[in-house]
Amino acid sequence: MGLFDSFRAVLGISAESDATTKADPEDLFGMSTAYLTMEADLRFDSADEAALCFSSVDSTDFADTVDAVEDILTAGSEETGTEFSRHTDGHGYNWVVLADDDPEDLVTSVHFAADEFIERGYGSRLLAALFGFERDGDRAYWIYSFRRGAYYPFAPQGTSSRNQSLEFKLESVLDGELEIEDDESYWYPLWPSTRNGHPWE
Amino acid sequence: MNWKPDWGLRGRMALTMFLLFALYIVFAGVLFAYFQSLAVMAGFMGVFLFAQFFFSDKIALYSMGASVVDEDDGPQARKLHAMVGRLSQQADLPKPKVAIADTRVPNAFATGRSQKSSAVCVTTGLMDTLDDDELEGVIAHELAHVKNRDVMVMTIASFLSSIAFLIVRWGWFFGGDDNRQNAPVIVAIIASLVVWIISYLLIRALSRYREYAADRGAAVITGRPSALASALLKISGRMDNVPKRDMRDSSEMNAFFIIPIKSDFIGRLFSTHPSTENRVERLRDMEREMETV
Repeated sequence: MGLFDSFRAVLGISAESDATTKADPEDLFGMSTAYLTMEADLRFDSADEAALCFSSVDSTDFADTVDAVEDILTAGSEETGTEFSRHTDGHGYNWVVLADDDPEDLVTSVHFAADEFIERGYGSRLLAALFGFERDGDRAYWIYSFRRGAYYPFAPQGTSSRNQSLEFKLESVLDGELEIEDDESYWYPLWPSTRNGHPWE
Repeated sequence: MNWKPDWGLRGRMALTMFLLFALYIVFAGVLFAYFQSLAVMAGFMGVFLFAQFFFSDKIALYSMGASVVDEDDGPQARKLHAMVGRLSQQADLPKPKVAIADTRVPNAFATGRSQKSSAVCVTTGLMDTLDDDELEGVIAHELAHVKNRDVMVMTIASFLSSIAFLIVRWGWFFGGDDNRQNAPVIVAIIASLVVWIISYLLIRALSRYREYAADRGAAVITGRPSALASALLKISGRMDNVPKRDMRDSSEMNAFFIIPIKSDFIGRLFSTHPSTENRVERLRDMEREMETV
């Protein structure tokens, strides 16, 4: 904790200012090559789905923003064939789910959607982008935190425990290629609500 | 979405802390200059208070009869974990522990001396009373307390005040027979009393300002000022309906006060939380700002 952080905490404004920190999408694109490494070195295939997760704001302007994001994705789907859907899950997370068998298109679509939120001043509401992988029934995800500008691995086992050895392996192999969150207390789990389901289902 | 910073609130908070700090400097100076033996005693008390701070999270959870729960401990625990996880993500905070206290009183609190050792506790009464959006508002308010390090700030702020209080209470037993002393112990006790009274009022003011700050934090985290506002109205309505004190007790007590303790200037000066109307009014301002800017 730096001096500036302590100062903000003393004035009681840490909560307010950190909840509105701008999104950091810089290192999102690392995922394009990570898909190749995941397949070549670890034999993890793309699950052909990715998702963007955000918290809403109870304002008309934000609703307009979500509509604009949908428009952009609709326009994009005509070009790349990336299908998308939007919903709110039982835990109150808002999702934009993308499906495409070309990982490159998934990364691009996530980036387009995220960019629109950022352009309209709602970058701070972006929580995470998830990219799904599978190997012989094992599920694994790379989760990009827009708040922290870094990736972390997430390998759920069932609906409330994580496969830590697999996460360790993913972290070790992809370290250097992806910007990885080094403070593990920020590796928030996003539990799927059914066994073998995706977190966004 | 960015709201205008509340400079008035920040200014008042900084001024309160400055006054408290100045008061403490003078108090500590007087203790060390004239009452060395009392200062040594104060040092021992300091160690005790530090230990209390160190175990504060366990003490708070224990005294509320709360227990820390995992994701697997039933649907309520699962829902809370998901909610706390998502809101901490938005607040950029490591996910705190989650605890549930089994009582009908709708309440919530956060403990922990650091962000990593913190816990958020809600009562079953709170979960029964509020809907999901409102519960989110309350949890975000507690996370804002964690984020602003309020346990730490309030512990440090009340540290010398507690010592002053202990000197008022026990000063007679100590330092009486020390002949190097150049002032009678009664002076120390009176000085401590004055320090204690002034610092008590300042600490209460500081506590109210930090509640406002946490309300703002909650509004920003949830992106929905109205959620916390309606939760506050619901809880305070419920609280007023459930009398907490025996009727005979309160009427007897009130007989001794010139102004009854409820809803007046003196009452407000002594309370740790601002009134619900004032809190809701400020949240309403944020709601308005969100739609018009």
